Amino acid sequence: MTSALTARGLQTYYGKSHILHGVSLEVPEGKITTILGRNGAGKSTTLRSLVGLTPAREGAITIFGKETTHLPPYAIAEMGVGFVPEGRKIFANLTVEENLKVPVERPGSWTIATIFDLFPRLKERRNNKGRQLSGGEQEMLSIARALLLNPKLMILDEPSQGLAPLIVREVFRIITQMRAEGITVLLVEQNVRMSLEVADQVYVLNDGQVAYAGSAADLRADEALLQSLAGVSAEKWEIE
Amino acid sequence: MSQLILLAVVNGLIVGAFYALMAIGLSLIMSLSDVINFAHGGFLAVGAYLAYSMTPYVGFWGGLLIAPVLTAGLGLLVEKVLISRVYGRDPLYSLLLTFGLAFIFEDVTRYIWGAQGLPYQVPGWLMSPLSLSLFFLTGYRVFMMALIMVVVGALFWLMTRTRLGLRIRAGTLDLETVSILGVNVRVLRNLNFGIGIYLAGLAGVLAAGQLGLQPTIGDSLIMPSFIAIIIGGLGSLTGTLLGGLMIGVASGLATVFVPSASEAVMYVMMAVVLLVRPQGLLGEEGRF
Ligand SMILES: Nc1ncnc2c1ncn2[C@@H]1O[C@H](COP(=O)(O)OP(=O)(O)O)[C@@H](O)[C@H]1O
Ligand SMILES: [Mg+2]
Repeated sequence: MTSALTARGLQTYYGKSHILHGVSLEVPEGKITTILGRNGAGKSTTLRSLVGLTPAREGAITIFGKETTHLPPYAIAEMGVGFVPEGRKIFANLTVEENLKVPVERPGSWTIATIFDLFPRLKERRNNKGRQLSGGEQEMLSIARALLLNPKLMILDEPSQGLAPLIVREVFRIITQMRAEGITVLLVEQNVRMSLEVADQVYVLNDGQVAYAGSAADLRADEALLQSLAGVSAEKWEIE
Repeated sequence: MSQLILLAVVNGLIVGAFYALMAIGLSLIMSLSDVINFAHGGFLAVGAYLAYSMTPYVGFWGGLLIAPVLTAGLGLLVEKVLISRVYGRDPLYSLLLTFGLAFIFEDVTRYIWGAQGLPYQVPGWLMSPLSLSLFFLTGYRVFMMALIMVVVGALFWLMTRTRLGLRIRAGTLDLETVSILGVNVRVLRNLNFGIGIYLAGLAGVLAAGQLGLQPTIGDSLIMPSFIAIIIGGLGSLTGTLLGGLMIGVASGLATVFVPSASEAVMYVMMAVVLLVRPQGLLGEEGRF
């Protein structure tokens, strides 16, 4: 099994605060890998290190066989790494269609036209400003925007955060569809039940360290293990 | 009397268009790079003198076309070599840097072209009044206004219809997210700076035809340009354009009725706007 992304011993800081203490990950190609963990465990920081926004001070990252540890974010994106940031981060001052023109054009099947086929709601709202969209629509736009890079690896940070259950379901459906189309997915989630359902591999982070790494099926089947991992954290994750 | 008011309004609109041209460039740079470019007036002077020096070879129209482009090129270089180094640092760094650059520009132009004023030749047919009753309205003034409006229109097109413009607008809100979408933000900030400096260079060439050349030609434009930004709302191009024209006309009218207040009036307007609408007239919509 080849891996799309490998991270070894990441040590990441925000100024003087030491957040990641040697995080190592393996993201297998064509699979969905999910990272779970309580609030503040370092999930977002891990993703930020992987995409070059908050470079790791120590450690090494390899994406598609290329060392990317010190590359700037745009260079990592250009390799075909899509990122859907926490809180969606759509451009509120631009219309839906304008938002979709910000990403660089990488060749592939995703164009604004095919995006509008997948997200008819975005097509309807194409001339509305980002700030006029509902949370669900913003999430769709954030995913659509990253898809326009025609990524081979898609990294998502809590895409279901704050969304109504029906829309959460839709988000997870799109994520599994990505895998069906051959896109490797790295997914950070708070929604443990649903992400374990779709994921192949799972990592649990705690205090900036990997507390568990294994197959999602194993963790799904082992309720006691799941509970004990949740117990590792101060507060429980939502295990619905 | 009505003739006098018309004169004041026309003068005000022309001066205001210059304020707007300067202010829009300043505002672009401020919004995307968080740098208050005090050297903006220096770039304006460079544009004016470059046009002056090349006019004998390429003519007035050649100078008008080429000098702002060369000025923009200088802007790209200065941003890449100097200004980009202070991004993300305490604002004091960029303040000191651009202030220093302003002095350097002024002294270098003085060194090369001399401290005394120089005349700048505009084609004769542009200098004659349009009609006897509108004796103050020369073809050149109408031409300046029209050209500035065309350029501002082109800028609006760039900002709303091209990927470059959309990325700049997106970047004023969230540069980090622009970068993870594959855009090289160093290049983006560089180009944006160049666009702002192009506008300053163009203002310089146009102003030279009206006022002649002085190393300090940009100085009288810089403060009103900041005021135009504050009145219009930082980040709103339309607002900045409106702000520039408004203070131009207001100070033009003040020249007629209360000459001593012709400069104070724009500060008063700024104070009123800040009190009533701190985000500026069109600042509410957010950026651009
Ligand atoms: N910009 C920042 N500056 C300083 N500390 C931060 C910053 N962002 C996050 N942190 C801290 O880093 C730790 C990990 O945060 P984060 O990676 O966002 O966790 P998670 O995504 O798992 O909730 C937290 O303790 C948080 O307070
Ligand atoms: Mg997070």
